Amino acid sequence: MRILIIEDEPGIAAFLKEGLEEEYFAVDTAYDGKSGLDLAMTNDYDLIILDWMIPGISGIEVCRQVRKAGECVPILFLTAKDTLDDVVFGLDAGANDYIKKPFEFEELLARIRVQLRYRSSESDSLTVDGLDINPVTHQVFCHSAEVVLTPKEFALLEYLVRNKDKVCTRSRIIEHVWDIHFDSDTSVIDVYINFLRKKLDAAGCRSIIQTIRGVGYVVREP
Amino acid sequence: MPKDAPRMHTSRTFLKIVPEISLRNRIAFYYTVATAFLIGLVFMLVYYVVDSTVYRHFDQELMAEVTEILEENDLKSNDFTGLASFRSIDEDDRQEEKDEHDVFRHNDVEPQFIQLVDAKGLVVKKSVNLFPDSLSFHARFRRTAYFNSNVNGQTVRQVQVPLENRHGLTEGYLLVAFPLENVIIVLSDLQMVFLFSFPGIILILFVLTRLIAGRSIRPIDEVIATAEKMTQANLDQRIPLPRNRDELYRLSATINALLDRLQDAFLREKQFTADASHELKTPLAAVKGTLDVLVRKPREREHYETKIHYCLQELNRMARLIDQLLMLARYESTGLRPRIEEIELSILIEAAIERLKPHAAEKEMTVRFNRMQSGNVAADPAMLEMIIENILSNAIKYSPSGSPIDIALEPGTNAFLCSISDHGIGIPEEKLHAIFERFYRVDESRSSSTGGFGLGLSIVKKLADLQQIRIAVQSARNEGTIFTLSIPVSFSCPYPKSIVKGVQTGCRVNGRQKIGLAGAAERHGNSENSA
Repeated sequence: MRILIIEDEPGIAAFLKEGLEEEYFAVDTAYDGKSGLDLAMTNDYDLIILDWMIPGISGIEVCRQVRKAGECVPILFLTAKDTLDDVVFGLDAGANDYIKKPFEFEELLARIRVQLRYRSSESDSLTVDGLDINPVTHQVFCHSAEVVLTPKEFALLEYLVRNKDKVCTRSRIIEHVWDIHFDSDTSVIDVYINFLRKKLDAAGCRSIIQTIRGVGYVVREP
Repeated sequence: MPKDAPRMHTSRTFLKIVPEISLRNRIAFYYTVATAFLIGLVFMLVYYVVDSTVYRHFDQELMAEVTEILEENDLKSNDFTGLASFRSIDEDDRQEEKDEHDVFRHNDVEPQFIQLVDAKGLVVKKSVNLFPDSLSFHARFRRTAYFNSNVNGQTVRQVQVPLENRHGLTEGYLLVAFPLENVIIVLSDLQMVFLFSFPGIILILFVLTRLIAGRSIRPIDEVIATAEKMTQANLDQRIPLPRNRDELYRLSATINALLDRLQDAFLREKQFTADASHELKTPLAAVKGTLDVLVRKPREREHYETKIHYCLQELNRMARLIDQLLMLARYESTGLRPRIEEIELSILIEAAIERLKPHAAEKEMTVRFNRMQSGNVAADPAMLEMIIENILSNAIKYSPSGSPIDIALEPGTNAFLCSISDHGIGIPEEKLHAIFERFYRVDESRSSSTGGFGLGLSIVKKLADLQQIRIAVQSARNEGTIFTLSIPVSFSCPYPKSIVKGVQTGCRVNGRQKIGLAGAAERHGNSENSA
């Protein structure tokens, strides 16, 4: 899952990036409205965390522009503006949620999960044929036996399972699982898919990830 | 709130004591009372005039009758020869004049009663129509007297004329009377008309006045209605102005102007609160979030150290901001008074330069200051020092490394001009007016790269206002900014002895340069804030 943070206060942007990366998200940061909007328009993010008062284009304007472009990516306002009018204004501008600073990091994570859940229209637990993924605890169970994955492996598996029955191209996978600093060598995906398959096969969940030759991968119920 | 409670209580009891009469009714009431008084006065006057006129005419007629009677008997009231000499007091004797005066007949429309009494009041002779009664005699009237009395059950106007012999002794009295019925009817009718019409007129007057008063104070009702609807949410409402440019128009316009100012102040306060909360919450969120993330899992020692260092830095920043906010709050409350002293300007400036030296050295900047033109000014030393330090620190902050900062002093007649000029980024003309506003930063990105909050200059402005120091700013983009303080001169000893010689020319030079400064200000676009 890939998240864009648009936040001008470097301290806040830094801990958000760190904390979210520890939660297996791929995170990009922008420090002003213009570059944030550019990133949001050129990349396919799963969620945008947006500050209101940012230099250049304001957060509200960024939100409007993104919505105007027809993007339905969840947008989460994270701002010190805390009056009722502000909250209403922000939500009406097209945001999906509104969090007032200062905030609990755990709450932010929960709210991010809510937005991702809406998108996959599933419960927090993701399941495919004996495979059980818990995005809160980052645990994966295969027929009730825990499979220990690295963060990247987990992120890859989570993305594929969330897009169950949809073919995920290599470039889409790159976009959603790795952040912007990753060079576009897609062969690394094959490496991670191999690691994943080995671990899942060993636990007894065979042939969940299928290869679509020349295109990418798909997770299907066998 | 509890502080206000007693006042609220007294105002409520006050309201209870004063009856709640509307302005409209009060105007009508006062007007009616005044008019009622006048109308009453006029009625009384009219009644008095009618009354006295009627009686005067009556009395004249009575006297004419007396004269006639005396003439008919060839007598004079002051040359009386005896009561017996009266001949023609009876009806039969006056037959010849019957067609003219039907005076002695019983059933005359306007009969006259005539009676003759002796000095003791005993009836000597009386006209037939008097029987069985007689005209009343008042011994106390020694001279001719007019009065009302009763005869045969009817009211009459009577005259009593003394009849004297040639020695001046009163031998008797001639009493003549006319019935008063008609006059009394007329007068009592008049009285009735007045009495009954008076309350009617007053009532009509009150109703009319109330109506007119209501119409003329209707704009006040509109003011009340607008004011009642006014809340924080719709502070932009205004009272509709009446068409006539009268007092009520002025009242409405004045209240509207007041509302303008209130709204302005309210919005500014709201903006300030929003800015202050943003400035306080952002570092708080950063510290909290950093620590939240930090404790989620065990980390390397260096990682902890970096994060804790960062948090401390943010907390220091917050502490600085809180200090400045408190300072601003203190200066804005009315309680603070500057302690004006006589101080040598150059000492203050040098102290400020000394304190900011590390910052200047960091950017390899030099502060050039010539103390030769210094003098004594009247100001609060601590406040003035803070002003100079703030402006100087801004100059260092917003100037490129290596550029010089100049501080120049110019003695003037009433004020010392102290200008601090840098070669920094400058302030765009359109933003000059706002630099003294709280939380205003010319650089729109509210990043903390310069470490400022935008409170410094608003504190400077407050401090300057408190001690009558005027601040003028001139700036040109990318050329630099000049802050000119005009500090009141201390009159007890305007200039130290050492530079007295320079001052004499300095004053003249200053006069010219002042004009030059104003001209330059107009060209550059300047913002001058007078205390």
